[in-house]
Amino acid sequence: MPMDNVEPDAHQQASPQNTPDVFRTDEGAQDGLAKCARCGATEISLNVATGNLRCGFCRFEWATENAIEAFNLNGDISGLTGILVGSGSSDIVPSTEEILTFKCSACGAEVVIDTNNSTQARCHWCRNTLSMNQQVANGAVPDMILPFRVEKSTAVEKIASFVGKRKFFAHPKFRAEFNAENVMGVYLPYMVVDINAHARLTGEGEHQTRSYTVKVGDKEQQRYDADVYNVVREFDIQVNDLTVESSSDRLDQNTSQNSNNIINTIMPFDVENSVRYDSNYLAGFTSERRDSNLDQLSPIAHTQAGDITRHRVNDSLTFYDRGVRWTAEEVDVRGQRWVSAYLPVWLYSYQQRNSSGKSFLHYVAVNARTGETMGSIPLNQSKLLLVAGAVQLVGTVIGLVLVVVGF
Amino acid sequence: MVTDFVRMAESSQIIAASSSDDGFGGFGLVFLLSGFIFYAVIYVRYRNVDKRHNHESETESAMFNMQEANDFVASKSGLTNSKIDGANNDVVRGARRKFF
Repeated sequence: MPMDNVEPDAHQQASPQNTPDVFRTDEGAQDGLAKCARCGATEISLNVATGNLRCGFCRFEWATENAIEAFNLNGDISGLTGILVGSGSSDIVPSTEEILTFKCSACGAEVVIDTNNSTQARCHWCRNTLSMNQQVANGAVPDMILPFRVEKSTAVEKIASFVGKRKFFAHPKFRAEFNAENVMGVYLPYMVVDINAHARLTGEGEHQTRSYTVKVGDKEQQRYDADVYNVVREFDIQVNDLTVESSSDRLDQNTSQNSNNIINTIMPFDVENSVRYDSNYLAGFTSERRDSNLDQLSPIAHTQAGDITRHRVNDSLTFYDRGVRWTAEEVDVRGQRWVSAYLPVWLYSYQQRNSSGKSFLHYVAVNARTGETMGSIPLNQSKLLLVAGAVQLVGTVIGLVLVVVGF
Repeated sequence: MVTDFVRMAESSQIIAASSSDDGFGGFGLVFLLSGFIFYAVIYVRYRNVDKRHNHESETESAMFNMQEANDFVASKSGLTNSKIDGANNDVVRGARRKFF
């Protein structure tokens, strides 16, 4: 969401209370058959090369409206008050079905869509594709979607190159089974947040005035002189497109249990290029449903906004070359705007099972917009320990010699 | 493999520099720990457990209406540490990645 000085639209002004104001993002959206405007076919999918939707029969292409413009999300963040939420980010109602049944409007058959993995299904009788575009309170249909831009062939190359540089100590089973062609295109659920806040930070800073050496016994030691200041910084801060995972599985980033930090690392995405949600973008890809609400995600977003504030204010602290110790940090969030988004990731996953029966899921992930690649490769522990032991043996001998000669 | 050794060597040099600064043992200590350093470098390079999205620097933000106060308090001399005690202006609290 660009940070320009456009006057915010009247409907973007939420009431300054804790109750979120919801703006609709699925107006005009329809469930059922989404047909090509030229030939009427329902075989529609993303053309990754152009970013447009393309009819599989007549090759007609069209673009979907940019979500930022459609929902007027490019308004001045300083005008935000209260909590503003896109209708696709509303709280999930636990009783809402995850498996939804639609009547095919072409032949009348009942078609089931499992919203855990997609919002589309093919009618088993007439072969038409049914799409779900209206939002239901189960987190399956977000406010916006960022289409894939990196082609599968490019992602395969990047993953193969990443793994290729880490083969020597890779687990032999992984090396034998690795095939980058098994990469999957997945839309993962995120919340994109704009925050308008006022911050006041108070503390002490030190500026070095002198650096010198003194003799202590027969050794020389470094000493410093410094001036101490009371430091206060008070300012307004606007955070734009802070992106937080909205799947509880992905939020758990304990690296001894999983490799979700890998998927976290490939952020950020260019979310300003997101478009209005259309299920046809999911054709050929899978998706993961959002299962976290604002209540769970707000503390994370606010803590991260605090980090951004602390980091940002460092620009005004260059005089304090010995650092600053903040004793009080107040970040008053005056306005926030939340929209849910599906963001595109090429994901290679590998389930490693050890002899005790425990398993660990390793990921190699590619940001399908920027191409940033990160991964976790299963290690051949015995080989690594053996080589590390040999290095230690040689190092010990050299180290002892150096210690004895007093280097 | 070669790059792994280069990285290890770089890490060793950093540790060597810092340990001699503090006057603990010097260069020999690095060699006495070389096996452990090697294991850690390779583990991190393959598993990337230290990686995360740097939300604090990679998220767009802007400050307005800045008001600053910088009041001199005192001068200190003979300090042994090159940084202020308890410096926290670079602390990150919102990282989701945890090691255990």
